Amino acid sequence: MKNPKSIPPYYWRRLSQLACLALFFFLFIHTDYAGSDEIKYAVNILFRLDPLLALCASVAAGFFIVLMLPAVLTLLLTLIFGRFFCGWVCPMGTLLDGCQTMIPAKGQGREKKYRALKFYLLGFLLVGAWLGLPLAGFVDPFSILVRALSLAVDPAINALSSTIFTYTYQEAPAWVNGLTEPLYTLLKATILPFNQKYYELSLLSLALLLVIFLLERLERRFFCRNICPLGALLAVTARYALLRGKAGRKCGSCHTCQDVCRMGAIDDKRIISPLDCNLCLDCIHHCPGNKISFQFGWMSKGKPDFALSRRTFVGALALGATLPFILKSRTMALQPDPLLIRPPGALAEGEFVGRCVRCGECMKVCIGNGLQPAFLQGGLEGMFSPVLMARTGYCEYNCTLCGQVCPSGAIRKLSAPDKKKVKIGNAMFDRNRCLPYAKGIPCMVCEEHCPTPDKAIKFREAVVENSRGEKVTVKQPYLVDKLCVGCGICETKCPLPGASAVIVTSAGESRNPAQALPDTGRMGY
Amino acid sequence: MERREFLKQVALWSAGLTLSVPHFRICEALAAESSQTLLAHATGKDYLALVDRVLRPLGGMDAFVRPSDKVVIKPNIGWDRQPDQAANTHPQVVLALVQRALDAGAGQVLVFDRTCNEERRCYVNSGIQDALAGIKDKRLRFFHPDERKYVPVDIRRGKAVNRLDIYRDALEADSYINVPVAKHHGLSRLTMGLKNSMGVLGGRRGAMHHNLGQKLADLATVVQPKLTVIDATRILLANGPQGGNLKDVRVLDTLVASADPVAADAYATTLFGLQPKEIDSTVAAHALGLGEMDLQKMKIIKA
Repeated sequence: MKNPKSIPPYYWRRLSQLACLALFFFLFIHTDYAGSDEIKYAVNILFRLDPLLALCASVAAGFFIVLMLPAVLTLLLTLIFGRFFCGWVCPMGTLLDGCQTMIPAKGQGREKKYRALKFYLLGFLLVGAWLGLPLAGFVDPFSILVRALSLAVDPAINALSSTIFTYTYQEAPAWVNGLTEPLYTLLKATILPFNQKYYELSLLSLALLLVIFLLERLERRFFCRNICPLGALLAVTARYALLRGKAGRKCGSCHTCQDVCRMGAIDDKRIISPLDCNLCLDCIHHCPGNKISFQFGWMSKGKPDFALSRRTFVGALALGATLPFILKSRTMALQPDPLLIRPPGALAEGEFVGRCVRCGECMKVCIGNGLQPAFLQGGLEGMFSPVLMARTGYCEYNCTLCGQVCPSGAIRKLSAPDKKKVKIGNAMFDRNRCLPYAKGIPCMVCEEHCPTPDKAIKFREAVVENSRGEKVTVKQPYLVDKLCVGCGICETKCPLPGASAVIVTSAGESRNPAQALPDTGRMGY
Repeated sequence: MERREFLKQVALWSAGLTLSVPHFRICEALAAESSQTLLAHATGKDYLALVDRVLRPLGGMDAFVRPSDKVVIKPNIGWDRQPDQAANTHPQVVLALVQRALDAGAGQVLVFDRTCNEERRCYVNSGIQDALAGIKDKRLRFFHPDERKYVPVDIRRGKAVNRLDIYRDALEADSYINVPVAKHHGLSRLTMGLKNSMGVLGGRRGAMHHNLGQKLADLATVVQPKLTVIDATRILLANGPQGGNLKDVRVLDTLVASADPVAADAYATTLFGLQPKEIDSTVAAHALGLGEMDLQKMKIIKA
């Protein structure tokens, strides 16, 4: 008998969802410098809980990445509770559920046509990751979510609020400012980022997230049912789960449970598939006959069918196995893009791209706003992986945050002294544009900002003719390669409009011996 | 003194507004009439006490801060460096000045700098954030500059620059106290008081470097500290203005103070074994009549 006063079970699920979402946003906002060299909270725990990323990164690395050990816990819990993660924890799932009334699905979604897609995708991703085509980060729900929030939503919210409060500050009467200014201060102290950041690919990152939301129009949780490769991995595990939903056999013909199931997990015979069920518990609540229950027990009635087409699955695996070799036919296999400057502590390129999960956390936390998502500099498969774009921002000399938040160890966690020994690139001067060379105008902003204790940018005095034809003595900068760490502050701060007269490239980066710079008197160069 | 100061200000400002030569003459006449430029310096290990000592010959903080004044104290917090690396103003010096300004009855005391490295790292690692955290007085505000509050200012007497974005609080202050650290600088050789004023500028400041000396002097025509205290408790001799190597640091335990910004820079220059005339900004500011650079003409008091 249903006790009307007791809390319906789905309330607990909702509570869990809200708590996990709140925790997620808390961690997201705190993925930032907070007055200490060591970061306290970072959203990277979510990625370390993600068995898909753990598996793909580990397969790519060739060994189990210990940093991602928490993902094993997720799998173990899935073995007990099934796809509870999708229903109770996943922030993407919670947001999709939350938007349900805004983007109502057209049909009831008993369509099973696309259900197998996620398994093909999973197979393709794993084989690809193993053979050198790391694409998990493109479709992993957390990567898509955190990337879009970091690169687009967060900076956009800041731009919006600064526009509003600049307007009130400049135009509104004092009594309005008496209200708005404290509000702005409060927002800045709590949810707004410290300063305005600018990102490459912010629209694309957002678009990928929006597509997932728009797919809700087709069926509820369309992404979770059909595409999510993490969901696929959890489904494979949930096939053996102990906790199962059981529907009544002689329950008439109302089909309410089928209609309310957000995952389309209940078939016409009222069998609840553990491959799809995310334990939202709505069916228990809505069943008029009160016939649905969830019980622990060893699976006795055979495991549910994946409903895969063998041919398509083999095709997906074959694609994953062949594409990586096509990548090796590109020119970049011969010569890396000179502007592919990776963060300090990044592993050698192949290993780095294999382990990078494209979560965007390093870019969110980069206090110099130097790390940007790559477009094609690292190949199509390297999209959204971090590169330093030194004209936009630079690598802060004493900062080690990117290595601290990287969930997969693609960027190693370095101590500050170790980080300072890493060379990520090398600066070079364009003497045709650099003012003291080209125009006889004194400048030296680059030298002023050069952070190495023994400055990598030094200067010589020279007499040059300026544009008025006068002979003037100016200080002209030059670089000492072995002192330069490639931080890029010179390029960021170069006061020339447009392109900088000092440009950092990946030449000389310490993670790639093949990029060694020529040195006077060195053997064998 | 009060009247004379007032007339001098009026003369300077009206000169700035009209650019008329006669006003300049009045200004110079007044300057000539005024008493000798006073400069104090003091040496000692206790930096809190040292601030009091160096201010005493100038009349103490009361000579510069009147009750309910809006006071801006502008240290150099430009770099993500530790206090011993001599890239930023020493936190104890800032703390002592803030304390004295509060004691003098300031209505509010604002402390800020527009940094070169990341803002929060500079505030934290300079030690200034920690030092000021101990003061629980609501009149003190230590904050990061707000993008919205830079106002375009015409530099009417400027020779190399005629418009700059300047932080509103710096312009509105009743008492603007400049607290630079004295250190090496590649382009300008040294950075002291006049260079420290760049911390109230908005926009892309790099262009200031093209003819830096003159532009700093031009800036000094509108950003006029009532008091300059140069922190030479430890000075940076090479790889400035950022430093990072303790071998480039020399501990002098010295402070220099003067109401005359040019005089303060000129005297501090000698701590590096250089002459005031070797620093372009000092020469340019002197030429604009902004202060004394001839050490012989100053009344220098060792406090």
